[in-house]
Amino acid sequence: MAKTIMVVDDSASLRQMVGIALRGAGYDVIEGSDGRDALGKLDGRKVHLIVSDVNMPNMDGIAFVKAVKAHPGYKFTPVVMLTTENQEARMLEGRNAGAKAWIVKPFKPPELLDAVSRLVLP
Amino acid sequence: MNEFDQARQTFFDESRDMLREIEDALLVLESGGGDAETLNGLFRAAHTIKGSAGLFGYEDVVAFTHEVETVLDRLRAGELAFGEELAGLMLACADHVSSLLAELESGNTGETADRDRGTGLVTRLRSLYATPEATTRAASPAVEASSDAPASGPCRWRIDVRFGADVFRNGMDPLSFIRYLGTRGELVRVVTRLFDVPPADRFDAETCHLALDILVHTTASREELEKVFDFVRDDCTLVLTRVTEGAPSVETTGTGAVPTEGGTEPVVAPEVVNVAMTRQKEQRAEEARFIRVQADKLDELISLVGELVIAGAGATLVARQIRHMGMLEATQSISDLVEEIRNSALQLRMVQIGDTFARFRRVVRDVSHDLGKEIELEIRGADTELDKSVVEKIADPLMHLVRNAMDHGIETGDERAAAGKPRAGHLRLNAYHDSGSIVIEVQDDGRGLDRARILRKAVERGIVPENTELPEDEVFGLIFMPGFSTAETVTNLSGRGVGMDVVKRNIESLRGTVHVASTPGAGTKMAIRLPLTLAIIDGFLVTVGRSSYVIPLDMVVECIELPADIPAHAQHFNLRGEVLPFLRMRDVFQVEDSVAGHESVVVVRNGTSRAGLVVDRLLGELQAVIKPLGRIFRDLQGIGGSTILGSGEVALILDVPALIARATRNSTLAGPATAGIPRSPGRLLTEIPSSLERE
Amino acid sequence: MERVPYVVAGEFTIYQVAEQKAPLLAMAADADEPELDLGGVTEFDAAGMQLVLVAEQLARDAGKSLRLVAASPAVAEAFRVAGLDDRLPREVSA
Repeated sequence: MAKTIMVVDDSASLRQMVGIALRGAGYDVIEGSDGRDALGKLDGRKVHLIVSDVNMPNMDGIAFVKAVKAHPGYKFTPVVMLTTENQEARMLEGRNAGAKAWIVKPFKPPELLDAVSRLVLP
Repeated sequence: MNEFDQARQTFFDESRDMLREIEDALLVLESGGGDAETLNGLFRAAHTIKGSAGLFGYEDVVAFTHEVETVLDRLRAGELAFGEELAGLMLACADHVSSLLAELESGNTGETADRDRGTGLVTRLRSLYATPEATTRAASPAVEASSDAPASGPCRWRIDVRFGADVFRNGMDPLSFIRYLGTRGELVRVVTRLFDVPPADRFDAETCHLALDILVHTTASREELEKVFDFVRDDCTLVLTRVTEGAPSVETTGTGAVPTEGGTEPVVAPEVVNVAMTRQKEQRAEEARFIRVQADKLDELISLVGELVIAGAGATLVARQIRHMGMLEATQSISDLVEEIRNSALQLRMVQIGDTFARFRRVVRDVSHDLGKEIELEIRGADTELDKSVVEKIADPLMHLVRNAMDHGIETGDERAAAGKPRAGHLRLNAYHDSGSIVIEVQDDGRGLDRARILRKAVERGIVPENTELPEDEVFGLIFMPGFSTAETVTNLSGRGVGMDVVKRNIESLRGTVHVASTPGAGTKMAIRLPLTLAIIDGFLVTVGRSSYVIPLDMVVECIELPADIPAHAQHFNLRGEVLPFLRMRDVFQVEDSVAGHESVVVVRNGTSRAGLVVDRLLGELQAVIKPLGRIFRDLQGIGGSTILGSGEVALILDVPALIARATRNSTLAGPATAGIPRSPGRLLTEIPSSLERE
Repeated sequence: MERVPYVVAGEFTIYQVAEQKAPLLAMAADADEPELDLGGVTEFDAAGMQLVLVAEQLARDAGKSLRLVAASPAVAEAFRVAGLDDRLPREVSA
């Protein structure tokens, strides 16, 4: 059974592109346009991995990770943060909140697949 | 379009939105407004462009936005102060990104001019984050030094890893790392064991006590193997050993100490959870509920609805001809529904004018800087809606009027102070709906139009004969005449070599009008009046001779019978005490055959001007789907387009503003002796006869 | 005495180990011939595997041996990846 990955980013083009790459690799993909939207979509379905941007409107990545880690049904779901190299403080915040994996933006589809497959193979 | 092209298109659309947000944020910050969230939004927009551009492989955009982001970072950290100069630089950067994207979208890349501009901007950006050390650090982001010589061929590595207590809780599955290693080489041996497991009553099943001892045959380097455990690096002890032909080598590296509960992690600033979400964020949530639809899909829908309107009219006509009551009722309810669909479909294409207005913030800022004038822009009625096709075409004429106002209308600070006005000029963009039209006003509080000077110049240019006397608004109207704008007034800013006549022509091509009001010393107001949509109009069907014509219904005031006692060559008659100029459409269209029965007058208005149009018969209201006129008819005066009736017959749509202008001119300027109808299309306003006696 | 294997079905991951711990370890400690049926497990991870290994060790400490009598494909794959093929029941270990 295909593993499900949730992609959370406020950029629609990024979600589309990441979706193309992940689906191509055999994952199922759910999209969230920001933390609040994504949280609303964590409605009981199984999610094996969450890939989330840090800087987003409505509910940023840090608050989102905290909410995920407080959610009984998803608290152990691995979260990959999309960070940039000049966001070290934010990245630490994210790690403290429980997101231990990261991908540095900008990244190419193979880099994404490489990072994701270290945590969950399709 | 395949899914990749779609994603690409999303990227370009999204980036345009982001650039607009960047521009807005910069302008807000420059005017001293904005807060942390404004800066944050600015950063987020740049970040989004960079992140997505990277994913699509647009390296030029990534490299450039990276430089911009670095400066924004300094700004956010309070290391740089936001001033006018920085705003200017950042705006120029946004423009550069915009042109890079435009090139990528159109497919022709690598313009040298762009590259030079980019290099220049990068130099200026880098000078802002001064220290040479900082420059090199920013230029070579996060490249880890390599210690091992690249492995020449596959070799065996022994990987000993003890996972930390929280590995499971963090969502990490040690099995995944083994599986992943299996994709990077051949797993020779895997041993999984428990360590440090406490007695059962104290054992916490969520705490990790697993250790792995893996032997892998792989071409991967030490760094690559270490990277596999990147995500648990702080939460495990890892020992990598290269195994050379049986005997383990001494080449052993260990990373990480025995994991302790967060002990080695640097102290971080207290977490700030932004609970109170700002209003701006709420607004974004609203936006999330919209869907993006390609404009041409909407156009096609509207065009189909247009066809449906025509087909429906055809069915009604047949039902009427065969006098079938049931059929008539059915077609009636269908056409009611079609009308609702039409309204909804047109509504879909309605956009607020605010976006178009907002663009002028930038224009006003830049131009006022260049001119050395202080100009405040006020925007009103930003939520006024109009058809997207209209909004696209009005941007240029509007730009022209705005620049003209800044250039020629608003005085310099000194001049204003001398005239007892505030130093800063005031420019107002306003939009509102009025009787089925949208009115867009560009109003300044500048010096106003100089009536005498305009007239003098019009005479000089041979536009009007000497000693002409014209009512005030007609004098102002002269500035829209071809050949009126001159090098003297057409500066490179406002003119770009294009005169106001082009503005007027563009507006008229949208079935719109432009009206000027001005008070010397107090300012000028240009009001553009446009139809809300270009696709379909409610019309009033009339016949002249054997042809049918459509008059836009929103311009029809009333229909009356032509008074029998009107002399054949009269240009106006008395309508309930008011002088109403009129035109005999038979003359306009040169219809020769005789009139059957009583002629009717359709009283039409455009803004404040009224006129009567004499037609043969009134056929009633209809919805007309406007078809553009072929090239041959493009210059035909008095005709604004054509439509196909339900019967299949073509009807021409009357250009009421042009006809009213013509009727008014005939009535007020033409003496009884010259009571003919001007027959030279395209030069209506210029037809000022030499004899100016009034009737 | 009739042997009734302890059955875990559905997900057996980090999300379930806390509640599975007590009964599974009790079974391993108390049963004369502890048996575990993982034939109905749909998802299995290292946390689930660790709990099985801890139960096994507990049984071994008491001089018994915990036998895996059934393993679903998910469980079998995980044990193989971990190099613990020998724990799998004969019919799925091939």
